[in-house]
Amino acid sequence: MTASPTPHPSDAVALREPTRLVSPRAKQQWRVQLLVTAIVPASGAVAAWLWPGGDTWPVLAAGAVAVLLIAGAFIVPQVRYRIHRWEVADDAIATRRGLLRIEDRIAPLSRVQTIDSRQSFLQRLFRVRSLVVTTASAAGPIMIDGLDAEEAQRLVAELTAITARERGDAT
Amino acid sequence: MSDPRETVLASWTAPDAEGWRRLDPRMSIVTGARVVGSAALPAIPALLGLAGRLGYWTVLALAGVLVVAGAFGLAHWLTTGYRVTDRRFELRSGVLRRNLQNAPLDRVRTIDLTAPLLHRILGVTKVAIGTGVDLHRVELGAVTHGEAARLRAELLPDGAPPYEPATTAAPTAAGPTAAIADVGVPPTPDAAAPTATPRATEEVLALLDWRWLRFAPLSLARLAVVAGAFTALSQVLPDLHIDENHAASSFWGWVQEQAVALIVVLGVVGIVVAWLAIAVIGYALQWGGLRLSRQQRGERPAIHLQAGLLSTRAVTIEERRIRGVVLTEPLLLRWAGGAEVSTWATGVKDGVAQVLPPCPRPVAVEVAARVLGLADDAPLAVPLTRHGRVARRRTHLRGQWPALALLAATAVLALVPDAGPAWQATLTLAPIAALIGAGCAESCYRHLGHAVVPGPRGGHVVAGSGILTRRRTVLEADGVIGWVVRQSFFQRRAGVATLVATTAAGPEQAAIRDVPLGEAHAVIGAVSPRLVAAFAAPQTTAASARTSAMSSS
Repeated sequence: MTASPTPHPSDAVALREPTRLVSPRAKQQWRVQLLVTAIVPASGAVAAWLWPGGDTWPVLAAGAVAVLLIAGAFIVPQVRYRIHRWEVADDAIATRRGLLRIEDRIAPLSRVQTIDSRQSFLQRLFRVRSLVVTTASAAGPIMIDGLDAEEAQRLVAELTAITARERGDAT
Repeated sequence: MSDPRETVLASWTAPDAEGWRRLDPRMSIVTGARVVGSAALPAIPALLGLAGRLGYWTVLALAGVLVVAGAFGLAHWLTTGYRVTDRRFELRSGVLRRNLQNAPLDRVRTIDLTAPLLHRILGVTKVAIGTGVDLHRVELGAVTHGEAARLRAELLPDGAPPYEPATTAAPTAAGPTAAIADVGVPPTPDAAAPTATPRATEEVLALLDWRWLRFAPLSLARLAVVAGAFTALSQVLPDLHIDENHAASSFWGWVQEQAVALIVVLGVVGIVVAWLAIAVIGYALQWGGLRLSRQQRGERPAIHLQAGLLSTRAVTIEERRIRGVVLTEPLLLRWAGGAEVSTWATGVKDGVAQVLPPCPRPVAVEVAARVLGLADDAPLAVPLTRHGRVARRRTHLRGQWPALALLAATAVLALVPDAGPAWQATLTLAPIAALIGAGCAESCYRHLGHAVVPGPRGGHVVAGSGILTRRRTVLEADGVIGWVVRQSFFQRRAGVATLVATTAAGPEQAAIRDVPLGEAHAVIGAVSPRLVAAFAAPQTTAASARTSAMSSS
């Protein structure tokens, strides 16, 4: 290895993970979403089973997919909830999300272009919202999934106020 | 301007009461030619059909086509107008459906002048006005060079370099010279021209050196064209009838057998010669008259690129929009000591502009550093920090996927009853794939690396990548607008991450693969110290935070 030319401020520098969790209701929403998705292969399996003179392998294949989705519905939201974090500190926003592949994103608020909040039908039932913060790079949208709806509105207002103070075109 | 023809032209294109100007009248010829061109392809079969009785009607039909094309061109010219108001640039066009395009003046970031062959013959140029991050550009089909220069001065008042056709004011010195030339402002006929005459300074960064042509055949992009041409040619070859039964017994047979070998040899030689010719001619056409310079008037310097023998293009990018450069060394070019340079800019169509053709590496490094406005070439010359054993192991594992796939295919083919001896082929190929994979992986690992170099505008982050091509991406710290630290399941176990610097320039991201996690955080800290100040972990708990991150899956 060549000598590092990187002027490290200190070798032990590390970024801590963001502190805030999303709303616990997000877990239920993700679970319902997976169960709703499982309806499609499950009904497929039933239809294939009832089909007169059909083979057994379509029943098994569709059934396996449905079982996996239903099993996932009881494991995945819990894990996802524990991993998913966010925080706004000073002039920066950071998130962590993922399941097997984990992604940390961090961006200075001075470079934020737009702040969107979205709510799907299921999210409305569980009173949660998603937040998407975009910068001028297509590679770097920052997403927070399953924020408490009222907190999301507050956060949008806060972030908009901070970014409105910045001048320039944030590129 | 004393030419009476010019005076007439000027009166035809003079602004009306509302300030609308017309394009150059020669635009009608360009449009007409385009109409004829688009009609030509379907018309050819018809003409061939008529060829038997060429006569009065054919001539009449041709004349008719020309009249229609001329009418189209004239109508288009008459109905197209543009003007510059105090807020925006406006272009209206369309005969039946009226179109109004506009570009707010404070958003105008680039003005590109291009002159394809027909434009060059007619002595006019196309003007494309680029605005903002969106890719929409307003295009003027044809104006005179003088009008183009006037528009550029009016729309890019600070950074606007005067446009000169390739034939004028080109210093004869070859290679990158630091000559500083004073370029006067072209006389502006507009009465509203600024009364003060600012002087623009121009610093030439690179001129084409014809000795660079030796690098032309080493770019394989044009080889595809040659290969295509010879494939088409080979369709004709089977017409040489070689009767094998008869051939063996006679003298002519011997000659014909040799002829086959001769044809193969000639074919190979032909491909090589054609490749050399096409590569060299293509290089010369694309890069002949290359002139890369930094032009400064007022406070906003701009990088100005002009190149092309038959069809010329001139690109102007405000210097502060250039956020990085990429030094690319494809395998063959690297062996010959050559390199290419591209810039990453914001607000330019597709963001990546190649500013130097294949040329000697020292020239490329020097020009790249000066395009970035650096006094030294540190970010381009500094040795990169390698990513260590883990990264190397992961690169080699990735390189063995094709060999593994071949082995799996062998197993499947051997088990399937009626597959025949195909499994022998895949089994033979597997070790070859393993060897090639190992070679590519080692090369890939050697190109992998990163560095942070302090300097103006926050310093630069440097990323090395590429499998056979060595690529060094140098990105300004001020141009980095966010970070992504991505860890797959296996990367977490190995303690490495893929670090992505996001930016508004060029392809909008620069990735550093398989860098140790602590090192990735150090890079973020060195490039964006304010971000780290907000999210720095206390040093004592840094190690535990990392382990908790790993175990949280």
